[in-house]
Amino acid sequence: MNIPAQIQRRDFLKQLSLASTAALATEGTRAWGNDIVIHPKAKADSCVLIWMAGGMAAPDTFDPKAYLPFEKGLEVKKILSTFPAIDTNVDGIKISKGLENIAQVMDRGTLIRSAVQPDLGSILHSRHQYHWHTGYVPPLTVAAPHLGAWMAKVLGPKNEVIPPFINIGQRLEGVGEKEELKAFTTAGFFGSEYGPMNLPYPEQAIQSVQPPEGMEPGRFSNRYKHFKKLIDQNPNRDQLSDFQRESMLRSMESAHRLLQSTEKDAFDLTQEPKDSYAKYGDTRFGRGCLLARRLVEKGARFIEVTTEYVPFLHWDTHENGHTTAARMKKEIDQPVAQLIQDLEAKGLLDTTLVILASEFSRDMMIEGVPGSNAQDQSRARTDKLQEMKQYGLHRHFTGGTSLAMWGGGVKGGFSYGKTANERPLMAVENPVSIEDLHATIFTAMGISPKTAYEVEKRPFFATKDGTGKAVKDIFS
Amino acid sequence: MPILKKHCAECHTDGNKKGGLSINTRVEFLAGGEGGEVAIAGNAAESFFLELTGSADLDERMPPKGPGVSASELAILKQWVQEGMDWDESYTLGSSGWEPPLKPRIVTLPPALENRDHPIDRIVDAYHLKKNATPPALASDSLFLRRAYLDIIGILPSPKELLNFIKNPSPSKQAQVIDLLLEREIAYADHWLTFWNDLLRNDYTGTGFITKGRTQITSWLYAALRSNKPYDQMTRELIDAEEDAAGFVNGIKWRGNVNASQTRNMQFAQNVSQVFLGINMKCASCHDSFIDRWTLQEAYDLAAIFADKPLELERCDLPTGKMAKPRWMFPELGQVDPKADKKKRLQQLATLMTHPENGRFTRTIVNRIWAQIMGRGIVHPVDAMHTKPWNEDLLDFLALQFAKEGYDLKKFLRFVMTSHAYGGKSDRLEAEPGTDYVFHGPVPKRMTAEQLMDSIWQVTQTHPTRADAKVDRSPSFRSHDSTLTRDSRKPKNIDAFWIWGPDSQARKVKLRTWVDLPSTPKTASLLATCDNAFSLKVNGQFVTSSKEWNKPMYHEVSNFFQTGKNLIEVDAEMFGGGAGFIAQFIFETGKQAIMIETNKDWEFLLDKDWIAATEVHPYGSGPWQRPLEKAQQTPPGTNHNDPSIRASLVKNDFLMRSLGRPHRDQVVTSRPAELTTLQAIDLANGNILSQYLQQGAKRITRDETDTKDFIDWLFQYTLARLPTNGEKQVLASIVQNPQNPKQVEDLLWLVFMQPDFQIIR
Repeated sequence: MNIPAQIQRRDFLKQLSLASTAALATEGTRAWGNDIVIHPKAKADSCVLIWMAGGMAAPDTFDPKAYLPFEKGLEVKKILSTFPAIDTNVDGIKISKGLENIAQVMDRGTLIRSAVQPDLGSILHSRHQYHWHTGYVPPLTVAAPHLGAWMAKVLGPKNEVIPPFINIGQRLEGVGEKEELKAFTTAGFFGSEYGPMNLPYPEQAIQSVQPPEGMEPGRFSNRYKHFKKLIDQNPNRDQLSDFQRESMLRSMESAHRLLQSTEKDAFDLTQEPKDSYAKYGDTRFGRGCLLARRLVEKGARFIEVTTEYVPFLHWDTHENGHTTAARMKKEIDQPVAQLIQDLEAKGLLDTTLVILASEFSRDMMIEGVPGSNAQDQSRARTDKLQEMKQYGLHRHFTGGTSLAMWGGGVKGGFSYGKTANERPLMAVENPVSIEDLHATIFTAMGISPKTAYEVEKRPFFATKDGTGKAVKDIFS
Repeated sequence: MPILKKHCAECHTDGNKKGGLSINTRVEFLAGGEGGEVAIAGNAAESFFLELTGSADLDERMPPKGPGVSASELAILKQWVQEGMDWDESYTLGSSGWEPPLKPRIVTLPPALENRDHPIDRIVDAYHLKKNATPPALASDSLFLRRAYLDIIGILPSPKELLNFIKNPSPSKQAQVIDLLLEREIAYADHWLTFWNDLLRNDYTGTGFITKGRTQITSWLYAALRSNKPYDQMTRELIDAEEDAAGFVNGIKWRGNVNASQTRNMQFAQNVSQVFLGINMKCASCHDSFIDRWTLQEAYDLAAIFADKPLELERCDLPTGKMAKPRWMFPELGQVDPKADKKKRLQQLATLMTHPENGRFTRTIVNRIWAQIMGRGIVHPVDAMHTKPWNEDLLDFLALQFAKEGYDLKKFLRFVMTSHAYGGKSDRLEAEPGTDYVFHGPVPKRMTAEQLMDSIWQVTQTHPTRADAKVDRSPSFRSHDSTLTRDSRKPKNIDAFWIWGPDSQARKVKLRTWVDLPSTPKTASLLATCDNAFSLKVNGQFVTSSKEWNKPMYHEVSNFFQTGKNLIEVDAEMFGGGAGFIAQFIFETGKQAIMIETNKDWEFLLDKDWIAATEVHPYGSGPWQRPLEKAQQTPPGTNHNDPSIRASLVKNDFLMRSLGRPHRDQVVTSRPAELTTLQAIDLANGNILSQYLQQGAKRITRDETDTKDFIDWLFQYTLARLPTNGEKQVLASIVQNPQNPKQVEDLLWLVFMQPDFQIIR
């Protein structure tokens, strides 16, 4: 780094000294001392991340632009949005047709249309997903923790019995890019105590917290009782007490406490009243939102619910974008709105931060951002529309993405940031980087963006190098 | 000096280098920190540290905490700098920390106490004397055996093996059993594959963010372990790599733009330094390290040895204009020729790395092995070899010993495991040990995910049926079975036929033939296989069997034959598809060679009559091609399934990952020491484990008759001891009906969940 002038050096050293004096240069993974890092007052004590995996096209969802319907012979370079806009219950905010229910809860939330991602060259979903979920661009020399793991680590569980970090709807086996998904669905160097409980199928979630298949609860509790008795009868009990043994017994106790608790009913969707269950729709994602609500009610700290990342499916449209986006919006519209309304009705919305986001947006023409060397990955290339499958946003766009937040102290009926109205649809007002986005999320949850833990004798920050700045404008 | 000590030392001396600045010595002070120079002797106005120290801006003032340097103190400092920063060159404000030695060191052994003359014990006894501690008592036979089995081959001793060991009166039985275990080359390789896969970050799957990830080195590695390849040779083959071992240095080519510290060249620098030298170059991959002596230049110079093109240094991901020069960081031992081509440079690096004077190399590996079996390194953590060992004599002695014995890993294991230090009762730690750790016997360690799975599979007999890893586990020619030392001839031209009965879909058939021998044969070879399974007897005695047609049986079988008439009988089975049995016998009587091959001269049992066998295909045609040529010789009379599949040979699954088996995109040198709640949940209700327990229980209720005996057997197998009466009562109350598989399942679960089972003492 070329820093000849005194002033630049000063700033640089200032940055460094702020970062490093915040460090506790001792071993172990301790957070910074309280006199340097001050955690903001929490607005929310629970967080639900509604993850639109695959790159949700903003012009066809939350940031509608000029609309042109499908027409044979239409030049694609004229197309910005493939749906018309609709009104919401907030004056001046319009979103895309197909999100009529969500349109009726926009008055409880904030829309950010200017989220941006770095240009990583070749566009790989997994790298951007990793970046979005951990705050760091892979590959790294450190195993970076997931957002949820940060919350589990810094805040701990809300209800001691419920695992603090729960991940719903994403299969991690038998799907493409599963290794890449696993790379960030982890507590990283925090250790798996802070890792996710993975529930790919919400309807089956209850199985994860009950006795093994085929075992009656009576037999299960009997088995654990005998386990404890056997421990008691160990002839070397007193001589053998050591930290590993103790921690093992503690973990077994926590596990069995959950598996024999009443709280675990939260995982059981069959216990939801039929009419309420129906309101969440008939899809895995919809049920995932219902499960998330139930878990919030019982005291989970962080829950992610996703429409699931499967290469080339769902939001990851490389062809048939319009048709697929219509289906995806139908899938998310009712459950997301219902989730917000239910949380509000139960008095939980103020203390629950709900985020709806995706790893990047999409565009008809541009791959990445203008000037990027990213490869064109559209599977329906054409200059003029001939068939329906070419109609849609099939290229990855990282210059301006939409996300929405509800609850957790954010303003209601608020819109932050703007993208251009002509291609390229770059964020032109108040761009929000990943660092700043995370800083905002952490601030809402009462975690300082400068929070750091030591790994291999270096500090590792909640936001990259501790530089994330919360977007204060969106908080009421 | 007092001023500097009072205000600056905390962050800038004694190994602390905040902002990259150390003021331990005048030289370091003047060298400055990450932002450049902070002091210019003779020029107080240009000395940045004075500006910071006197600053009114609290955000940038140095020191950042406390009242700061007073005006009078500042004046003294300014004057001192203006006058040239007079400072005795040899004076250090703080120490730069302990410097690890590079070269090996000959250690004078302390005298042996009592008759404990093993070199390790002589050193450790002296260590205990100095610390005023008593060495731990020796571990019991059962504790020792369990530990030795798990440390060398990663599985439990069977109850029979345990009893034999306990009953053995020989005073050298411990050394004997260590030797026996080390000779089990497949089991040894199966177990240590895990350690090396972790260290060399080798695996069968993994992200490369869509590229194929890294190239595997599994076949090379497994073969190296089976043949006990010396470690220096392994290292040279990894650095100056042929294709089969190149995956390690080649690293992972990430797709897209990556941080400058993640190019393959930088991965090379990081991994080579970490794995072989215990040096962390990760910090220095982006900037001069703040925590130790390594610089950006050094990291890039090391990377340049591997690079195809000249490398420009990038600091914090920005180009600097400075170029790297292929160079390694210990020129005292020699240097790489920067002008040589890449292949030559790597050769040179390989030679330097394994140079006899490279004590860092040997200290690093002996420390890793010590940590692996003793539960904690002499240097801790094992990747931070700049940390002071808890005993320098021990580390240095072992390093030299290792080199002297030809870098032989098995010999080294034997050396350590035959000491009292290894054979002692394990330590008891109330908390995770810190810098105040004192060695007091082996530290208890959690079974790895692989050891846990292998042990559970062992007891329940639920091993996987196929390996994912591409390794050669065929029986070795170097077996101790004396029948194999006889020269058994390779198969001659094979004119045999695949034979069966008239009905090609007949499931279970019997075949036979008679062989008339003029005298007992000196040698007799049998080469046979069957689609799908067969069992063969000679003169009523079982010889061999097989269930896999493409793995033919090849034995020396002269023992089974006699002068005169010999009856060869075959029970063959087909599971579907084609059917055929084929065999070739060659008898050498000294005077002649007699060959018997399957053809229509053999007989087939149809209902009650023996008829001529049907020739289905001549050898070489038909669906089977030519499997007989690749037969490997094995002893007859044994169950010819390959050794049980081990966890290290299959891909990671949900349960193993939960128990700590890593992804291996990074080098991993230690496994988690504690069981977490989420892991405990998986153990409590996970389907994978349940299935093993169910299958195991089914088999046990089918085969076992006496519960009491069974509980004793189970405890001996899993915990290397018998249950107490109290334990027996608890277990009896859960297995009230020993024929009930569910109760047996629960019994198994109870035992597998015992800390005593999962922790190796």
